[in-house]
Amino acid sequence: MALTPKERVLNLFAGKEVDRVACYSGMGNVTVAGLNELGYKFPKVHGDAKMMADLAATSYKMFGFECALVPFDLCVEAEVLGCEMNAYENVDQLLYPTIKEKAIHNQEEMATFVVPDNIANAGRVPVVSEAIRLLRKDIGDDVAIGTYLVAPFTLAGQLMDLNDLFKLSFKKPDLVNQMLDRLADVLIKIAAIYREAGVDYICVREMGATTDILSPRSFKAIIQPHLKKIHAALDFPNVLHICGSTNFVIPQMNDCGADAISIETKNDMVKTREDIGLEPLVFGNIDAYSVLCLQGVDDVEKAVISALELGVDAIWPGCDIWPEAKPENVKAMVDATKKYGAEKWARKK
Amino acid sequence: MSDERVKELLEELKDGVINYDEDRVIAAAKAVVEEGLDATNAVFHGLIPGMEEVGRLYEEQEYFVPELLMCADALYAGLDIMKPHMEKKDIGIAGVVVMGVVQGDVHDIGKNIVKMMFDVAGFQVFDLGRDVPLDKFVEEQLRTDSDLVCLSAMMTTTMVGMKDIIRKIKEKNPKCKIMIGGAPVSEEIAENFGADGYAKDASNALKDAINMLSTLRKLQEESA
Repeated sequence: MALTPKERVLNLFAGKEVDRVACYSGMGNVTVAGLNELGYKFPKVHGDAKMMADLAATSYKMFGFECALVPFDLCVEAEVLGCEMNAYENVDQLLYPTIKEKAIHNQEEMATFVVPDNIANAGRVPVVSEAIRLLRKDIGDDVAIGTYLVAPFTLAGQLMDLNDLFKLSFKKPDLVNQMLDRLADVLIKIAAIYREAGVDYICVREMGATTDILSPRSFKAIIQPHLKKIHAALDFPNVLHICGSTNFVIPQMNDCGADAISIETKNDMVKTREDIGLEPLVFGNIDAYSVLCLQGVDDVEKAVISALELGVDAIWPGCDIWPEAKPENVKAMVDATKKYGAEKWARKK
Repeated sequence: MSDERVKELLEELKDGVINYDEDRVIAAAKAVVEEGLDATNAVFHGLIPGMEEVGRLYEEQEYFVPELLMCADALYAGLDIMKPHMEKKDIGIAGVVVMGVVQGDVHDIGKNIVKMMFDVAGFQVFDLGRDVPLDKFVEEQLRTDSDLVCLSAMMTTTMVGMKDIIRKIKEKNPKCKIMIGGAPVSEEIAENFGADGYAKDASNALKDAINMLSTLRKLQEESA
C-alpha cells in the first residue's frame, strides 16, 4: 500500500490503516537551508503570503518532511487583538518574532478588550489564510497542510503582563477564566477561517501552561475548560501540545478532547502510556534542538527508533525546529521514519 | 527589645513570606524599624528563611510559579521597608552581577526570581531586562567589570544566542563567570556553549541562589 504523506497523516486521524507513522509537525519546521534555497530573509516571510507558502513547502521539497505548515511565529492571534509584533528586521541573528506592545494594561481591560468584527481580515490572518491556499495549490494533493493556534492562557500571557496573569490566576480566577473564555471564542473563529482556506490539521499550543509553572490544580481550573471548548469546536484533525514534562497533567490533557496529544522529550513516555493507555494518539518526542542541531545523523536515527519504541504515533519534533538544524539531520529524521516507522511502531505490534 | 519579641517579628516575616501575605510582612517590617530591631538581622533571619521554605515548597511541587511570584511580592514589600535601615557594611557588596533575558525572548519571570535573591543577598545587580541585544551583555560586563553574568532564555529558539554572548565575554574577560538558565537549557548545552554553570528551571536557579545566600550568611555570622 503506497500512501501519499497526506493520506498517511489523515488516515491515522480517521482511524484507517496506515503503512507506517508519518514524520511531520504541528509546530514550526522551516530551516535556514530552506531560506537559503529561496534566498529569503526570515523577518520578511511573516508578512508575505507567497514567501510564507514557499518557505513552508521547503521542508517537504528538500527533506521529504510530510507536511507543510504556516505560520512560523506565535504572534498572529495577539496581533488580531491589538498587540504589536517585532520581526527583528535589523538583527543579524535569526530570531522568531515576539510581541513588543501589550494590548491589555489593567484588570478592567481584561474584561473589555475589543475583538474585531471581521477576524478574517484582522492582523495577519489574511496572510496566513492566503499562504494556506497557495500551499494547497502547490503541494496540497500530496502533503498535509497544517497550522497552529496559540492557546488561551499562552495568548493571554502575550496580551497582558505575564506576572500579573499568573498572580490573578490565583487571586481572581473568575476574571481570568472570563477572559480566557472570550479568547477561546476568538481562536475557534480563526481555526474556522484557516479550515476554510484548506488546512488539513491544526495544533493547539498551550506552551505557557507547563507543569513547572502551573499546578495540576490550576491546570484543571484555568487551562482545561478552555482547551475542552476549543477541541470540541474543531471539526477537523486537531492536536494538543504542551511543552515540558507534562506527566502530571497527561490524564487531563487526554481529557481535553483533542484527536492527538503532542509531547516533548522531557515527558516520560512510558509513564504517559501507563497513565492514558495505548489507545490515544501521542505525537513526539524528537528533541528539536539538541538532536537536530547539535548531534549527528546516527543520534537522530537512535532518537527516532527510541520514540517509536516508546509508543509515539508520529515522529514529530517536540517544539519548533530551530531553523539552524543540520539539513542532514532533518533528512535523517525523515529517512529513519521511513525505515523504521512500520517495524518499530508500537501500535502496529 | 526582648528576645521573645525579636523571635516573634522574625517568625512574622518568615510566615508572611511563606503565606504570600504582603500585609503581614509590611506590618512586621514596620515594627522592626519602629521598635529598633536590626534590619539586617530581620532580613537574613526573617525574610530569607521564609524564601528558603518557599524554595523547598516549590521544589516539592507544593508551590508553583503563581505562588512563587506572590511570595516574592511579600518579600519585596518587607525589603523595601527595611533596606534603608540596613547598613552597607553589614551586608557588604557580595559581588556584581549583570543579568538579563536574551534577545528574542520576552519571558522574564525566571530572571526576576533570581534577581530577587541577588538583591536580598546584597549583590549589586545590573538588570538589563528582557529581549536584550546580545552585544549589550558584553558591553555591560566590560563597563561594570561584573564577577558574574546571568543569561536567561525561556524558549529553545532564543537560547542559541547565548553561545555568542558567552564566547565574546570570555574572549574579553576570561575571569568572568557565566551562568545560564531557562526551560530549554541542559547541562549538555551549558557545556557546549562554554557556560560555567546552569540552572535548568526556576527551582534550580532559586536553589543555587539560596546556597549562595546560606554561604554568605555563614560568613556574616562568623565575622559578627
